[in-house]
Amino acid sequence: MLEWIYRGLSKRTVTTRYPHRPEPAPAGFHGRVDVAVDAVADSKIAQLCPTGAIAVNRDGRASLDRGRCILCGECVRAEPHVFKFRAGYETAERSAAALVVGSKADDTPHEEPRKALGQRAAMLRRSVHVRHIDCGSDGSEEWEIQALWNPYYDIQRLGFYLTDAPRHADVLLVTGPVTPPMHAPLQRTWQVMPEPKALIAVGTDACGGGLHGWGGVDQILPVDVYVPGSPPAPIAIMDGLLTAVGLLNRGGTA
Amino acid sequence: MSAESFPPESPDLRPAERFARNVEHPAALETRIWVDSAAFRDAVGEIREAGARFITIFVAETPELALTAVFAWRGEIVLLQVAASADGTIAYQEIGNWWPAVAWPEREMIERDLRVDSGRGAPEHPLTKPDPDLVQRALSGLDTFTIPYGPVRSGVFEAIQFQIETGGEDVAQLQTRPFFKHRGIEARFGGMPPELGIHVAERVAGIASCAYATAFSQAVERALGVEPPRRAQRWRVVHCELERMACHLDVIAKEAETTALSVGQARFQILKERVQRLLARLTGSRFGRGAILPGGVRDEGGLTPDQLREELEDIERDLQRDRRLFLATSSMTDRLIGAGRLPRATVEEYCAVGPLARGSGISTDARHARPYGDYQRLGLQVIVQNGGDAMARINVRFGELLESLRLLRRALEWLRRSTGKESGGLRSPLPRRESGTACGWAEAPQGELLFWVELRDGLVHRAHVASPSLRNWALFDRAFPKDVLTDFAFIEHSFGLTPAGADR
Repeated sequence: MLEWIYRGLSKRTVTTRYPHRPEPAPAGFHGRVDVAVDAVADSKIAQLCPTGAIAVNRDGRASLDRGRCILCGECVRAEPHVFKFRAGYETAERSAAALVVGSKADDTPHEEPRKALGQRAAMLRRSVHVRHIDCGSDGSEEWEIQALWNPYYDIQRLGFYLTDAPRHADVLLVTGPVTPPMHAPLQRTWQVMPEPKALIAVGTDACGGGLHGWGGVDQILPVDVYVPGSPPAPIAIMDGLLTAVGLLNRGGTA
Repeated sequence: MSAESFPPESPDLRPAERFARNVEHPAALETRIWVDSAAFRDAVGEIREAGARFITIFVAETPELALTAVFAWRGEIVLLQVAASADGTIAYQEIGNWWPAVAWPEREMIERDLRVDSGRGAPEHPLTKPDPDLVQRALSGLDTFTIPYGPVRSGVFEAIQFQIETGGEDVAQLQTRPFFKHRGIEARFGGMPPELGIHVAERVAGIASCAYATAFSQAVERALGVEPPRRAQRWRVVHCELERMACHLDVIAKEAETTALSVGQARFQILKERVQRLLARLTGSRFGRGAILPGGVRDEGGLTPDQLREELEDIERDLQRDRRLFLATSSMTDRLIGAGRLPRATVEEYCAVGPLARGSGISTDARHARPYGDYQRLGLQVIVQNGGDAMARINVRFGELLESLRLLRRALEWLRRSTGKESGGLRSPLPRRESGTACGWAEAPQGELLFWVELRDGLVHRAHVASPSLRNWALFDRAFPKDVLTDFAFIEHSFGLTPAGADR
């Protein structure tokens, strides 16, 4: 046992300082797809998208619903002047409408400034309890949520704890598009959680159905924060959790 | 069919071939035997006697409607097929009631497809429509109780349900209930060109995206008669072996977590995260998505073979030390030794695959039995342990981690020395508007995985996935011969399966 302790101590700290310091994604990371607002897209691109996430209006302006985008990159390769992969992690949004990008000029950063997120972590008094429920994910979202508690992300330093009991939970992470057998367990889990509580849809499948035609978690329960991505990276989920904490501090769900 | 009647007179004949109306060889290592529905049960019996391993059973148009059972027999794939009768239905005699490996896939097929009739009638509690509130007691008595565990699990786990019956400490009876996560993902392939279908394949079981992408691509390539360039095949090995490392490290970290061996858990989580970050830098995705596609690979990736090799050397050094420490920590190994012991005969009965089977002394590995892609040239040492317990399964994974590193070293050395030009680029073009049907397979981190793909006019008409998780999970009910409730998590993690792959 002692040897493990030496082994642990002999290694340098690997933990990220996010959100207090920025955490750059590796170059070429497929974090999200951005749409150039001023470029004109071929209307055929909408048919190319395997999940129907892209719409092109009559003027040739394209918009992309990140709630359906599985980051496959077909549009990026077909119309590179309109669609671009961005390495960024901050994809969390407060509403389904905000997931649709490109239809209007959105040069203002729609994610909240990192500093404000960091301050929220301080307001928590270091105790937010998180519960997760899988409603039909492909399994990768679970890995990325579990990773939040690994030494690289160590979300416990911000005061987030995993809890087994939904009755102790403040935040519910939902993955997957909600398959029929999971309807009732999802409803029940949400009902027994005490107020104030927040629900986060993690992953494109949960946000808008992704590959599946069910439309996502918000067809069944009100979603407070959407974290799109297939799957979203751990920092993106962390970002979503910090966004949700702002709601908890106001004393109720939106 | 009795054992004495096999092998038949002619040694060239495959089992069940003497029942055949017609035998086809559509692609290398693949044989299709068409039999009448009346002879199907006997033919399956003969195949079983001959030592074949059951893989899957499903209904598809091939191109006429047919029932297809798939077996692995002596390094090849044997498909036993029954054509539908004139009224478009298939009536046959159930086989899952005498071959446990067939039970779940057969029930799934019958419940989903009304055209198939096995003569048993509709079940009271369908396997594919699980009810989280259903309690089915096998034991009775005042001092037994039943624990329904799942589908909402403690911790961050995928949805599956276990019904555990216990007298207090022993696990007296266990029932596994999959299909809470059934997304109908096989149907999503329909009508897609293979270039788009690959995105669906990567999302059948997200933690094994590269293996699923490889199996799907190989099925498409075999159906269309395309050979991907050698350099692409070698890059696929790099993607798949990195993915295998991440999966195996995840299993080991979870075992350490279950013993509350915090530093050990942290060490293996760090190694897993490093492998995932390597994949992210190489492919843009932490799960290697988008790298593999039918015909080859997308590009050279964001890391040179030299950079990769350097990083992997670092990882290997740390892995060796952490492994030694893990195996020398008695509080860890004491929980694994003897837990969830599965005798070889049970594993064979259930036709289990992957590290689970290799931990019970069965040398089965698709990379070795039916080498695909570049594994034909790389050579593989199959890691086998005879213990049959959780420790054996973890030892198999440790061995495979080192074997993966060896394969990666060899693959990267070759990739470094050769250039894309001399080895024919990275992608062979797929012929347009062609039709064809074939199987493709790969060894996923969880075990052997098989894709059956039918293409019509260049579009995927039907795809069927035989995931290792579904077959191996059927065995979970049998994995508690002398084990108590607190062993549950150790045994579950040592299986290392994913419900997403099983439920699809």
